[in-house]
Amino acid sequence: MADKRKYVIPGDIVTSGPFRPEQNVILEGNNIISTVVGISEIYEDSVKVIPLTGKYLPKIDDLVIGKVVSHTSLSWELDINSCYIGFLPAMDVFGRDFSTHSDELSSKLKTGDLVAARIANFDRTRDPLITISDRDLGKIDDGVLVKISTSKVPRLIGKKGSMIQMIENGTNAAVTIGQNGWVVVACESAEGLAKAKKAIEMVNEKAHIANLTDLIQDMLNEKDES
Amino acid sequence: MATVSVIDELKKAQILELLEQGKRIDGRALDEPRKILIEVNAIPKANGSAKVRLGDTEVLCGVKIQPDRPFPDMGDKGLFMCTAELLPLSHSTVETGPPRDDVIELARVVDRGIRESHMVDVAQLVIEKDKSVVGVFADIVSLDYDGNLFDACSYAATAALLTSKTPTWEMIDDKPTVVEGGEKQLPITTIPVSVTMGKIGNHIVVDPNGDEWDSMSARVTITTDSDGNICALQKGGSDGFTQEEINQCGDLSIKIGAKIRTQLKSTQEEYQKNG
Repeated sequence: MADKRKYVIPGDIVTSGPFRPEQNVILEGNNIISTVVGISEIYEDSVKVIPLTGKYLPKIDDLVIGKVVSHTSLSWELDINSCYIGFLPAMDVFGRDFSTHSDELSSKLKTGDLVAARIANFDRTRDPLITISDRDLGKIDDGVLVKISTSKVPRLIGKKGSMIQMIENGTNAAVTIGQNGWVVVACESAEGLAKAKKAIEMVNEKAHIANLTDLIQDMLNEKDES
Repeated sequence: MATVSVIDELKKAQILELLEQGKRIDGRALDEPRKILIEVNAIPKANGSAKVRLGDTEVLCGVKIQPDRPFPDMGDKGLFMCTAELLPLSHSTVETGPPRDDVIELARVVDRGIRESHMVDVAQLVIEKDKSVVGVFADIVSLDYDGNLFDACSYAATAALLTSKTPTWEMIDDKPTVVEGGEKQLPITTIPVSVTMGKIGNHIVVDPNGDEWDSMSARVTITTDSDGNICALQKGGSDGFTQEEINQCGDLSIKIGAKIRTQLKSTQEEYQKNG
């Protein structure tokens, strides 16, 4: 149960007392202090701050959209909109019998390619390990990349995926949402694509508005008629 | 982390696809530059300055005018020098440290455009021949990057020079000394305007934005003076231009340059009217 939600800035004392500091807070003496701009949440025994902005911090099992920025003879490097770079080992794509002599990495993924990937391992001391060997993962062949704020991702998905389902149904577009705030929209028709893009950008801008679902629904319907 | 920006292939394909239909990703016409906002005297303490916003690219230019020793072989001419620097705040791929090749090129292209048009009449900037001359230094920094720094920097430097005021010096006891109340305009002869064009596929686009900049295979920056003469040209990128394309670029640079020159001129006139 979360209560005492309030907006905090770095340095603000969220609370004091015997709480466990969780995300984006530090314990100093008896005070729990925020380290980011965000909304504080105090639970029964713990305190955390949900950031309003910021780069993506990888979490194991997150689905992310990555962009290949370079590769070595053993691995690809992916931009995952984070302060860390995604590390995709060649063995993940070529299999265990991968050989640096016979396999050329750029034959599978080249610089500039977009991939849907999952964070396989991450512990802050090393760059996150990424995998694309799973169903629905791998190179993205069509669609448009839309970038939104990482903190707005849950709003875009909605309760049990309600928001994104509404957008998909309203536009016939296929939307892949990366937890890192990168979203790929693919649609057969150009109008559907434009509308889905607009809807996603609207969620990004107006995430704080209470009846956002209705607003989006109105926007989706309105364009249908015109 | 890579220090060069990489554009995703899907966007690149989209840009090309739109160009095939005669459209651009930001809705502009192929020969349409982005909106230019010029704010002169952005640095009140400088001799001249200008902040220029070209779409989402923004640069700031400051002009410093001071007495200097002339070059040994050019004792009858003043100095003009233009530098450019990219600040890390302008883009996530920009790092601190010594300037990289592209930044050195940027400074040289902007400098050349102004120098070769003979915009500043350096012959009038002599205090005493072979001993002391006036040096004009235009220093540019980038504040925001979204492609085409060449033109943004060039317009900023030109606007700053157009509105610069220089003190007057005279030699007293072999030293250049400022004459009280001798402030005047810089001797300006022409207004150079650079126009940068990029080649994406077989299409020529004027004033490429950040995404187009990352997608293009070749670029050319052409500077024209007030008479519509081409006075400087720089080509970059690995691809080439055909003769027709270069002719087309030349015509475009004259046509678009004239429009931008009008804007620069009216900015200057407005500034002088308001003192």
